[in-house]
Amino acid sequence: MILHLRSGWSVLLLGWLVLSGSVALAQRAVRPYEPPADYQPGIYFPQAPRPGEWRKSIGLIFTSTPPEITEEIRLLVPAIDVNLQHGLSKNWYLSARLQTQLVQSNLALGVRYATPVTEKLYAGLGIDGIGWFGALNIKDVFNSQAGGLEAIPHATLGYRLTRDLQLTFRTEAIMDLYYRSTVGPLAVEYDQRRLNGVAFTFALEQPFYKQQHVTLGLRAAYSNFNWQFWSLYDTFERDFFYPQLFFGFIL
Amino acid sequence: MKPFYYLLVGGLSWLLLQACREQYEAPIPYEFSGQTGSGRFTAPVRQAMEGVYTVSDGVGEFGAQVALKWTYVLNGADTTHYLSIFSGNEAGFFNLENDRSVDSLVVRGYWRKLVNTDTGLARLALRTRRNGELQRFTGTLAVGDTLVLEGSYGTGNANPDQPLTLTYNRPLNPRPFAILAHRSGGRTSDLLSVSENSLNMIRLASRLGATGIEIDIKFTKDGVPILYHDNLLNLRLIQKNGLEGPVEEYTYQQLNTLVRLVNGEKIPTLEEALETVLTSTTLNFVWLDTKYDGPMDRVQAIQQRFRQRAIASRRDLRIVIGLPTTQAADAYRALANKENTPVLSELDTAITRSLDARIWAPRWTLGPQIEQVRAMQAEGRTVFVWTLDEPKFIEQFIQESNFDGILSNYSPLVAYYHYVDQ
Repeated sequence: MILHLRSGWSVLLLGWLVLSGSVALAQRAVRPYEPPADYQPGIYFPQAPRPGEWRKSIGLIFTSTPPEITEEIRLLVPAIDVNLQHGLSKNWYLSARLQTQLVQSNLALGVRYATPVTEKLYAGLGIDGIGWFGALNIKDVFNSQAGGLEAIPHATLGYRLTRDLQLTFRTEAIMDLYYRSTVGPLAVEYDQRRLNGVAFTFALEQPFYKQQHVTLGLRAAYSNFNWQFWSLYDTFERDFFYPQLFFGFIL
Repeated sequence: MKPFYYLLVGGLSWLLLQACREQYEAPIPYEFSGQTGSGRFTAPVRQAMEGVYTVSDGVGEFGAQVALKWTYVLNGADTTHYLSIFSGNEAGFFNLENDRSVDSLVVRGYWRKLVNTDTGLARLALRTRRNGELQRFTGTLAVGDTLVLEGSYGTGNANPDQPLTLTYNRPLNPRPFAILAHRSGGRTSDLLSVSENSLNMIRLASRLGATGIEIDIKFTKDGVPILYHDNLLNLRLIQKNGLEGPVEEYTYQQLNTLVRLVNGEKIPTLEEALETVLTSTTLNFVWLDTKYDGPMDRVQAIQQRFRQRAIASRRDLRIVIGLPTTQAADAYRALANKENTPVLSELDTAITRSLDARIWAPRWTLGPQIEQVRAMQAEGRTVFVWTLDEPKFIEQFIQESNFDGILSNYSPLVAYYHYVDQ
């Protein structure tokens, strides 16, 4: 399903305001801050799962297309978003993330370090290695495949606003490592290592229903290339704005 | 936590992102005199100059070789000549005119790279290398002489101070090949000095390497065929004026009076566009891309009228109606008389044959389709591929496929790879 929107960014901003307002209203009756007795589930919040513990989430991520590439057509492209994390020690943990639209997918594998700075403030560092692949075989339209490798080092700050509500800010550097594309028997490759762009993420994580928790957030990528739009073959050496809205249920 | 803080975080994020977004511009740093003629660059000199040149100074910016070609535009009986240089680096090109302020063979103008915003001034003097010595070129080449363009280029508005030397290597590839420029010459989003689907862009097209153009046809509310690509009036294509909505909801008078394209031009009618092609350019192919639903008879009538005028003025000019959809194909089939109405089919080979289209134009994302292309060519059809912009694929399509032409937003790059191909 692809949503046609006049302004994807406006919708994302509206979504942010509505959802954050709803969360805020829900928090009005929350009692004063108490240190959590236990680890709070969170995919973005920089806190390692207990050693040996698994964290999982499943959700959707929507990406708005930049007008420089899709011109008057604005699309809000959805992808299934699955996260898996595994605690190695008090501070270290592994992460895996799959984003997929079936015809194109992105798998990120990473390692992270997180530590509390104060009772409420946490910090983390990590790096993800990414492999993505897309294949489009549509009669009289596409006979194309593409794939690539990226690396994303990132730094994260997390703030536990209340006992239950966790706010996370993450900044990422998106590094291109390799790109290959084919149309029929022809292929092109780029193996230059370069800074492709940066991204900033705001995420809220909190209880949702009974023992379930949810993640809700915005990611703003400002980059030259975005793997989801490889099939548009943009050639501009310019950075474009790719806003993303995501939510997930922490299982 | 009060809602205020959430709104504050959201608002600050938005402001941060807006502040970080760079505004991309690539203003031309050179003002052309537009004087008619070609000064000291007489026809034999221009002819001798055209070719593939080896770059010795300036390789890092423009690559190891470039292709030089003279073009001209017409204004009534007057012609104005321009020298174009096509580079394989980042869709780079030079637009130069003869420098009348000096008593020698000198061109000056600007260079630009279409994939980014790099641009600057350039000045080159034509000399000849004889016995290892550079001399003034007198207009006649002796055996063993080599033409050399020597000068400099700069960045932005700065005076050219970087050395640039081009040495003649071989003639341009003579194989006939259609270099078709998208949207009448190039996209507005490539930050050219003129707007896509405008008369100025049509006049510029051949200086960007094009031998033909594709233009987008829509109808106004009162049935006037115009050049416009998008469904809506939007700030991507037009200057802010408060008007919005489908272009078909406005009369020609309203559009002509109230709407200006992003670089200030009026939205042209199809007739104005073909008049410009016929009387002001040397373009030999026009692809009318039908971006409307409905009868095709009005476009056919205009196409036939300008076809007759081209024949009468002995102009080598083909004007074809593009059929991108089955609806457009049906509209073509519904025409009472299809005589002298050449069409270009973007549909599959079976439909193309059933329409008896003389030109087949598949998407480039299907690959070179060697067998199908050969089969269609064996039936006497011309085969173009569209809309190919990826530089490395342009190179491969020219070297490894057998298409008769490429439609691209980067006609300078298609021109480069075609002319240097051996």
